[in-house]
Amino acid sequence: MLYYIYDGSFQGLLTAVYEAYYRREEPFDITPENNFSGDLFARQVHIKTDGDKAGRVFRAVKEKISPRAIKQVYYVFLSEIMQRETLIYCYLKKGFKLGKDVDLYLTDKTVHEIQKVSQKVGREKHRMLGLIRFRKLVGDIYYAPIEPDYNIVTLVAPHFARRLSDQNWVIHDTRRGSAVLYNKKEWVLAQLDPGREFRLSEEEKDYQQMWRGYFNSASVPGRTNTRLQRQFMPVRYWKYLIEKQEL
Amino acid sequence: MELAEKLKILSAAAKYDVSCSSSGSRRANVPGGVGSAAYSGICHSWTDDGRCVSLLKILFSNECLYNCAYCVNRISSDTPRATFTPEEVADLTINFYRRNYIEGLFLSSAIYRNENYTMELLLKTVKKLRHEYNFNGYIHLKAIPGADLALISEAGKYADRMSVNIELPSEEGLKLLAPRKKKEVILKSIGSLTENIKRYREERKVFKNTPTFVPAGQSTQLIVGATPDSDLKIMRLSETLYKSFDLKRVYYSAYVPVSNDPKLPRISSPPLVRENRLYQADWLLRFYGFSAGELLDKQHPNLDLELDPKASWALRNLHLFPVEINTAEYRMLLRVPGIGVTSAKRIAAARKVGSLGYEDLKKIGVVLKRARYFITCRGKYFGDVNIREDLIKNKLVGSFQRKSDGKQLTMFNDVVPYR
Ligand code: SF4
Repeated sequence: MLYYIYDGSFQGLLTAVYEAYYRREEPFDITPENNFSGDLFARQVHIKTDGDKAGRVFRAVKEKISPRAIKQVYYVFLSEIMQRETLIYCYLKKGFKLGKDVDLYLTDKTVHEIQKVSQKVGREKHRMLGLIRFRKLVGDIYYAPIEPDYNIVTLVAPHFARRLSDQNWVIHDTRRGSAVLYNKKEWVLAQLDPGREFRLSEEEKDYQQMWRGYFNSASVPGRTNTRLQRQFMPVRYWKYLIEKQEL
Repeated sequence: MELAEKLKILSAAAKYDVSCSSSGSRRANVPGGVGSAAYSGICHSWTDDGRCVSLLKILFSNECLYNCAYCVNRISSDTPRATFTPEEVADLTINFYRRNYIEGLFLSSAIYRNENYTMELLLKTVKKLRHEYNFNGYIHLKAIPGADLALISEAGKYADRMSVNIELPSEEGLKLLAPRKKKEVILKSIGSLTENIKRYREERKVFKNTPTFVPAGQSTQLIVGATPDSDLKIMRLSETLYKSFDLKRVYYSAYVPVSNDPKLPRISSPPLVRENRLYQADWLLRFYGFSAGELLDKQHPNLDLELDPKASWALRNLHLFPVEINTAEYRMLLRVPGIGVTSAKRIAAARKVGSLGYEDLKKIGVVLKRARYFITCRGKYFGDVNIREDLIKNKLVGSFQRKSDGKQLTMFNDVVPYR
């Protein structure tokens, strides 16, 4: 059984797809190196990430399949689900055969799965655009910790770069230890220690207090329906919501 | 009075306005500015009653001159009063916005001193936000009926959405419960906004640098259950507002008993099921190609509380069913109970590359629990009873009651999942 081992980056995965076509050697599975438990009979090919090859696959997907296809593939990659690589590879194989029509084959398991997972990621991204809460720190930095299911920090960054373009901000995925940092000009992805402590600015508590007060009084008595509330805003997201924290 | 105290009073006073949508505008940020609008709108939180919080929804003032019977802020009501300053509103908006608590501001007001004075204060506030604070987030501004039309149209240059609340669906209702509100005045304000929105839109087609005017359109709100008006009357009014006045949304708000004024109906809880049915019917008008006359008529002036409006329509029109999933026109797919826009689109896409059987429908994620009584797949019918009104109704109502447990009563506000 042939295994392709890559470095876990999106570019690396696209390079692996390139190699699979170039070598005409079907991988049984594509796995990131930190996840490979190598079995006895495994034959391994180590993929060296190559920006040029990755770029060619990227463009080919966009042009020969569709812009939607490349977006879906990227979202599925960010989902970090088990065996995402193989799912992506199978979808791309179908895509190169069927062209842009591939996404009409909704009864096909691979196509269905790709769309389902990428929709889930898209939905969480959209949800996070609303649920991210910045705290103002001393030194005029707005800091937002998050713990999303999927690895979506880079997906939400452009939105905030446009919207909050005149303030310094940080969105910190505390589970993955990664963060996007924005300095009023551009954003970058960086590593950020999950345990780091921050000092709130002086006025921060007042606004938090007012927001909590606003939130609590916005509900209409007699219409309470916490089940619906939790359906839209699952409890796992409450940890960093100002309005859901007691003082 | 402290800012926090004012916020408490003036947000509590505003919450009965159900609209909270932040959609429909593409306002972009500018260098050095703060804020942008998202066309599809963004919810930032959900309150304990399951409603989306998108905008900071406050009244500028609740010191009202009027005495509308159904309203907590009427002059004769014993309630704490407060009035903001434009600076306070701008400060709160900006600081909430920078922390990503909100998509923007929804500013309304009671009639403070007089109509023009109130409208001027609202105008001053939004101007301050746009010009001094360079704010490009979403603003929904209430137009005060009775204020000069010139003031209202001036405000439209700064707002993304504006609304004039009709409140009561009939003139008699207004006379009885809100004697200082006049139907002609309300409709005139709505009409002048409609005209200006149209004019600016036309001009923008020719001159790209024409400023925007209420780009997300206008909306209104109707109170349901405070007057004896029928659903037929309400849906006809909504239809006119959508068709002739080009409104983006009509909101329905179940009357919440606030006083024991003998002019008001005696009810112990708001008519939530009815409100929900009206939202569903409204959805059918806007996205499913239905007309008010198809859903309701003199024999059926009110929506069925047991069944959703699409299902009741279908049962009254069984001669049109079943439809063949592989060949039915898209607009007919949309009329099948249990099939929503998403499912209809999926069916339309998938059948392009192969004919669909019953199992295929399941695979592509179409829920068939209700739809199966109204469709065939490759000529085969999959309902477990014959196509007869009483038999199918029995099935549909049964399934509704089993799964409801109050869940059906919750689909109000901006999210009305419709199947
Ligand atoms: S005008 Fe009527 S509805 Fe509006 S705040 Fe005053 S009393 Fe209430």
